[in-house]
Amino acid sequence: MSALVTGATGFLGRRLVRLLREDGLQVTCLVRPSSDIEPLRQAVGDALWSGVDVRTVELMDENGCREALLGCSVVYHLAAGLSGSTSTLFLNSVIPTRRLMAASVSAGVQRFVLVSSLGVYGTQTLPPGTVLDERSPVDPHPHLRDPYTFSKVVQERVAWDAYKASGLPLVVVRPGVIIGPGRGVLSSRVGLRLGPLMVRMGGGQQLPYTYVDNCAAAVRQAGLAERAEGQVFNVVDDDLPTAKELLRLCRKAGAGVKSAWVPRPLVQPLAGAYEWYHHWSRGQLPGVITRYRTAAMWKPLQYVNDKAKAGLPWRPEVPFDEAFRRSLTIAPAIG
Amino acid sequence: MTTSPSDMIRVALVGCGQIADAHLQEIRKIPSAETVAVCDVHQDFADQAAARFEVPRAFDDMQRMLSEASPDVVHLTTPAHTHCRLATELLQAGVHVYVEKPFTVDVREAEAVLEAAHAEDRSVCLGHDQLFDPSWVQCRAMVQAGAVGDVTHVESVLGYPFSGQFGRQVATDRNHWVRKLPGGLFQNTISHPLYRITEFLTDDRPALHANWFAGSADVSIPTELVAHFRGEQVTGNLLFSTRIEPQRITRVYGTHGALEVDLDAQLVRRSRQNRLPGAFEKLEMPLRHCREATGNLCRNVWRFLKSDIHYFAGMRCLFEEFYASVRSGSPPPIPYEGMLRVTRLMEAMFEQCREREEAGDTAPRHSQERIKVESDHTIKSDQRSNQRPVTTNRDESRELQEAWS
Repeated sequence: MSALVTGATGFLGRRLVRLLREDGLQVTCLVRPSSDIEPLRQAVGDALWSGVDVRTVELMDENGCREALLGCSVVYHLAAGLSGSTSTLFLNSVIPTRRLMAASVSAGVQRFVLVSSLGVYGTQTLPPGTVLDERSPVDPHPHLRDPYTFSKVVQERVAWDAYKASGLPLVVVRPGVIIGPGRGVLSSRVGLRLGPLMVRMGGGQQLPYTYVDNCAAAVRQAGLAERAEGQVFNVVDDDLPTAKELLRLCRKAGAGVKSAWVPRPLVQPLAGAYEWYHHWSRGQLPGVITRYRTAAMWKPLQYVNDKAKAGLPWRPEVPFDEAFRRSLTIAPAIG
Repeated sequence: MTTSPSDMIRVALVGCGQIADAHLQEIRKIPSAETVAVCDVHQDFADQAAARFEVPRAFDDMQRMLSEASPDVVHLTTPAHTHCRLATELLQAGVHVYVEKPFTVDVREAEAVLEAAHAEDRSVCLGHDQLFDPSWVQCRAMVQAGAVGDVTHVESVLGYPFSGQFGRQVATDRNHWVRKLPGGLFQNTISHPLYRITEFLTDDRPALHANWFAGSADVSIPTELVAHFRGEQVTGNLLFSTRIEPQRITRVYGTHGALEVDLDAQLVRRSRQNRLPGAFEKLEMPLRHCREATGNLCRNVWRFLKSDIHYFAGMRCLFEEFYASVRSGSPPPIPYEGMLRVTRLMEAMFEQCREREEAGDTAPRHSQERIKVESDHTIKSDQRSNQRPVTTNRDESRELQEAWS
């Protein structure tokens, strides 16, 4: 059995490739001409490297993808744009997904795992405290969100269209915020970063985090689990901290984080005021803070991983305390 | 005042990449214009732009867009190498065209587009939008009021670090369309600092000396460009660098002083010779700077309060003027001759740079190597003149002396 991995040189991808090699799978990695292979080689290790076939193929090249897919039974599609303008993210996420899926349909792959994002849920309409699970609705107005979320929602839509139209055996994994060595632990789910200052928004909201090794294990399972086609799995760890608890842990660990606090009742009114000013001033300040985005980002919700645990099956082996310690110890700086 | 539907300009846009966002955002601010459609070869691109900017129709076929959305004006924001073909098709379809810079890949294409505009009796406007930026408008007014006397020299700097979003794409993607242009990375961006020079250096074919080279050993394409221009009355310098911070600065020198326009900071600074004698001179300059800084601060605070500070303000003004010219049938705000002149200069610059590259004469040499070449040359000439070489650099002078001995 062999697998094809896109985004293999990335933070999550290289750990996934190692796991697949440990399972004895031959792994084909599609990389861009500009990709640095060395971190992948180090993550996989010399002993397992012989089973890795690195191919330089642009995902926009449908024929190149088709050729690389020959003999591959499972596709793990991790490659995606993480930052930039909406058009850049679409160029790096949506269009390549279309091409890769078309190639996968014609190559007759047996399983296509798409790594999406927990951000695709439309949590604006959910009451605070709601349990967010796989039955929660996907954001119906993703263009009102940030460019990354917009691109991930459309990328998923493209994948589901291929599943429905062509019967591509699709499994979608929606990880929360992936933390790990080199990435730090503070994310936009905690609050807004203003230079060296972290402005905590509320603080009682649980953080949907997953440690990179735990996440890689879940993604691996998504490609191997039986009767998983057509299903979605949210991936978050157990014992998730709140934003306030996380900042306290950081301080306790000696990582000086300068933070300010916006009490929860003020978050939406302040976002509304900013949004009003953005419109009134005809965009003198960018429209990055809106009530819609704020509600999606900082609403207190409960995150669960029951379906992934039962269906993949999977268990986050690294507990949060250890994940936090590892992320903090090896990371050059928090954040 | 409301605009009656018949006065509204129906605008469409072709090419929904990064710069399209700026166009769509600025068109929305113009009460007499409505965006009726967007188009891109990737339907996903067109859809995302339509959703975010509330455009009613999104197409992946330009001809279908033209027939179904019936625009008056089409903004062309596709990659530069497609401009000639698409602009010509649009003009032939009977619409006026706003072309994002750079106009075309070369002069031949530029002439073809303008010929099509003439044949179809339609207008073309080129995205030289920084000429309409408030700080540039202020500079122009000051020059016209005689603030620097007669303009003698213009210096334009564009800092374009590769860490920026677009730069990163070009740096990492070997197949990026920008790399395939005759002027590579420069072709897509250099028109902005160049037309800020040609506003004052109006010669049709000024003398030119241009060179490009890679800014560091780990990049495979030229990333730095310097060019010198000599016209009848005015000279010019242009610097494009990926090694300096992002900046868009132009200095206009005249017979009685100079103006520095910083488009990012929205500032115009004036410098001129001190008038007070002796030690008083040392007080005059900082006092003048202090007074000028206070004036600039007050002006920008006032503009901020009026919500008048916008990165693409020049773009909106240019759109408005173009739409007004379309409505009235008057000439477009950027004269065709100006478009051709900038295109011609760019072509000549890139040609000269390529010639130097082919001759292996682009990359700066290490000082030792350079001095050796210079000293060989100097010795020969000095043997004739029997004079020692003159240099302003102490180290060079020492090395030359060593070469002599």
